[in-house]
Amino acid sequence: MLPERTGMPFLTYPLALLAAAALPALAAIYILRNRYRRREVSSLMLWQFAVLSREGGAKVNKLQLPLVFFLELLALALLVTAATGPRWQLPAHARPLVVILDDSASMLAGDSAAANTASPNSPRAKAAAALDDLLKSRKFLSIRLVLAGPKPRVLGSAATTATEVREALAQWTCQSPDAALDAAIALANDLGGPQSQLLVLTDHAPPGTEFSGDRVQWWAFGTTHPNLAFVNATRTTHGESDRVLLEVANYSASAAATAAYRITSGSNLLRSATLTLEPRARQRLILNLPAGTPAIEAALAADTLAADNRVTLLPAVRKRIRVQNSLEDAALRSLVDKALEASGLRSSLSAAPEIILHNARATPAGTNAWGLRFLAETNAATPHTGPFIVDTAHPLARGLSLDGVVWTASPPGTNQFGLPVITAGNTPLLAVTEDALRRQQITLHLISDRSTLTATPNWPIFFWNLLTWRARETPGLVESNFRLGSEVSVRALTNSVQLILPGGATRTLTKSAEEFVLEPETPGLYTVNAGNSSWQFAVNLLAPEESDLATAKSGKWGEWEKPEEARREYASVLWLFVLGALVVMVTHLFLVTHSKGRV
Amino acid sequence: MSTREHLLSGEALGQRYALAVPQTALAGMTGSQLGRRAGNSIDFQDYREYQPGDDLRTIDWGVFARTDRLTIKLFREEVNPHLDLLLDASRSMALDNTPKSAATLRLAALLGTAAENAHCTHATWLAGDGFQRAANDMMLPSAWDGLGFASRRPLDEAFTILPPRLRRLGIRVLISDLMWPGEPLSILRRLADGAAAVFVVQLLAQADTEPPEHGNVQLVDSETGEEREIFVDATVAAQFREALARHRESWDAACRQTGARFVSLVAEKLDASLPALEEAQLLVPA
Repeated sequence: MLPERTGMPFLTYPLALLAAAALPALAAIYILRNRYRRREVSSLMLWQFAVLSREGGAKVNKLQLPLVFFLELLALALLVTAATGPRWQLPAHARPLVVILDDSASMLAGDSAAANTASPNSPRAKAAAALDDLLKSRKFLSIRLVLAGPKPRVLGSAATTATEVREALAQWTCQSPDAALDAAIALANDLGGPQSQLLVLTDHAPPGTEFSGDRVQWWAFGTTHPNLAFVNATRTTHGESDRVLLEVANYSASAAATAAYRITSGSNLLRSATLTLEPRARQRLILNLPAGTPAIEAALAADTLAADNRVTLLPAVRKRIRVQNSLEDAALRSLVDKALEASGLRSSLSAAPEIILHNARATPAGTNAWGLRFLAETNAATPHTGPFIVDTAHPLARGLSLDGVVWTASPPGTNQFGLPVITAGNTPLLAVTEDALRRQQITLHLISDRSTLTATPNWPIFFWNLLTWRARETPGLVESNFRLGSEVSVRALTNSVQLILPGGATRTLTKSAEEFVLEPETPGLYTVNAGNSSWQFAVNLLAPEESDLATAKSGKWGEWEKPEEARREYASVLWLFVLGALVVMVTHLFLVTHSKGRV
Repeated sequence: MSTREHLLSGEALGQRYALAVPQTALAGMTGSQLGRRAGNSIDFQDYREYQPGDDLRTIDWGVFARTDRLTIKLFREEVNPHLDLLLDASRSMALDNTPKSAATLRLAALLGTAAENAHCTHATWLAGDGFQRAANDMMLPSAWDGLGFASRRPLDEAFTILPPRLRRLGIRVLISDLMWPGEPLSILRRLADGAAAVFVVQLLAQADTEPPEHGNVQLVDSETGEEREIFVDATVAAQFREALARHRESWDAACRQTGARFVSLVAEKLDASLPALEEAQLLVPA
């Protein structure tokens, strides 16, 4: 760890200041020289002229003598200063400063932390004060702020004064579940350029054992605290009921902790109990709720970090897809129905189907219906045992494991439709294409009675994938509970939606792609309004790394520049002092030569 | 060296000289030298007719026998010439770090001895708070006593307070540094009044004649204690020398005006300056 360096050396060779001892020496010489020698004379009558005569040197010389002395003193001082190699920080040469602000939630940890506010002892408050001190003690060409959340973000435009920086720091709310400091440093580097100086303000030590950041100073203001936190919270559909899972962790380095918690739904208390947790231990709480139970809230007793003491869970999203099974093969149709029912995502056909399973070559009727066509031609059918090439990134292929599967299918021939998702050699087994109405048309080459696919878990997984994919394409949210930092996708039929933030502020989003992608910045309840439709989702911190304050540290690492770099920034002003000394010495010479021996 | 030793030194130096007695000085009281007037010496001078009241012992009875006229013999008056030595006893004559007082004592002893050699009586006056005779001043200089230089009064004030009772037609020698701002003529006229000869010997130390070295100097008046800070440079030094020269010139001019003779000596070079006293006809080789 290096000592704090907020200023640059003004003198290149400070040891030359030892020559300043010549100044008192000169003064001593003058004092001794100018000391009045006492001399007794017979009478002062012969010295009357010295007072009476204006040409006598007494009064004039008394004035000249100090002048010469001060000139010599000044010349000596200038030469001594010149010998030290003085360098001046010229405003035009000052470097820009880019400050990387750790925006993670742990920066708000303090002795008496309230939710979403910084206590005076929080790392954020200390870091802001340190930055303020730095800006008071040193000038920079410009100051830019980069907020290091999950993604780095530039705060406002370049500032030049500490006041502007203080105003910009109001946006430093420390609500993020993570701080991508590396990405933020990279962004700051691009932003400031090669001459910039980077300052990281955070609450933990730099990664690695030895910090070697070039032009980077890393200032940490963290303090180790014990902390109890919710680190996981989910609410999933479980048949006709909702299942709530909460996980509480004790991030204390040594002491066991007792955690009192309350789970409420509106004004109804669902559970209130106390947990005892060993150091670094976690404990799960599971709660089954009726399907109609509205949002629930779980809260821990207040401690160092408030943001992780509370979670809100909305009812899980239940999107059901209307599937019309028009397969000709009764056995296959039965197998498909079983898989669909097992997914729990199929609803009754109360309206136009959203997926049609069929054997026809033509696209099925219905404006919104996707088609899944089964091709089971037995001509030249070949059983495939692998290896299968699976496009695992495709929504339909998630979770499929085809090892050991016998997949019998006929070559595609002229029945090549769309892009293959699963192939065996050059034989496409599953292909997908999107038609002009943006409907997905899926072709599955499968002779089910000669294959083992329908007898493996891949069969229900495939249909679960299909229904989930389709459900994702319907308006609304896919999930209702999110971790802070995750993206929230909303599909709406309108071109813009209105987002109501937890604090009540609204934001209008315009459609630029299929979905509206939201990036919630603070925990809480959000509402999305799209025309007549309205959806709600909850965002919770749930960031174990932020809740774990045992690794917080204080200290300063790194340096902004090496001495040879400082010389580039600090222009030498040695010539100025030498020139000044020359002028003084010439003046001195003039006075001496024109004083007719009086000095 | 003590005062006595200085006096002895001057006495020894004075053995080589005799006071040059001017003719006008031979009108003193009865003494060892023949005066200009008739007196009681054994040297016949003239005859004249008896007048009532004349000492009958002076009638030349042989002439009466031959001429039957009462005639008395006149003899030369036998006189002792006299030296009045006036010493400036102010503090400036004992200037620190100079041989000024020693030179004054030696010169006084020299003149006293020279007076003895010339069979002159002598008196030594010290100008302090008025003029006072030095103790034993009629004896040889080595016996003189009470000589000191501690007066804070300038010489002209001493004349005012208590003037010396100077012998008429005596030789008067003033030894002083003349360092007071008064007018010299007033003193010289007093000295010259009834004197056979007046000599003014200015005795200065080398330090009195040369300005201090270049630089700041705090001058202290040895008599008044007055202080003055001054920066001495070439200009000041030159002005000092001019002032000293003017001062000497004023005394010299005043001496010429009153018939006195002015001699300026430097204490450090006293021995070498004695020919100047001979030139001034104050001393002659013994």
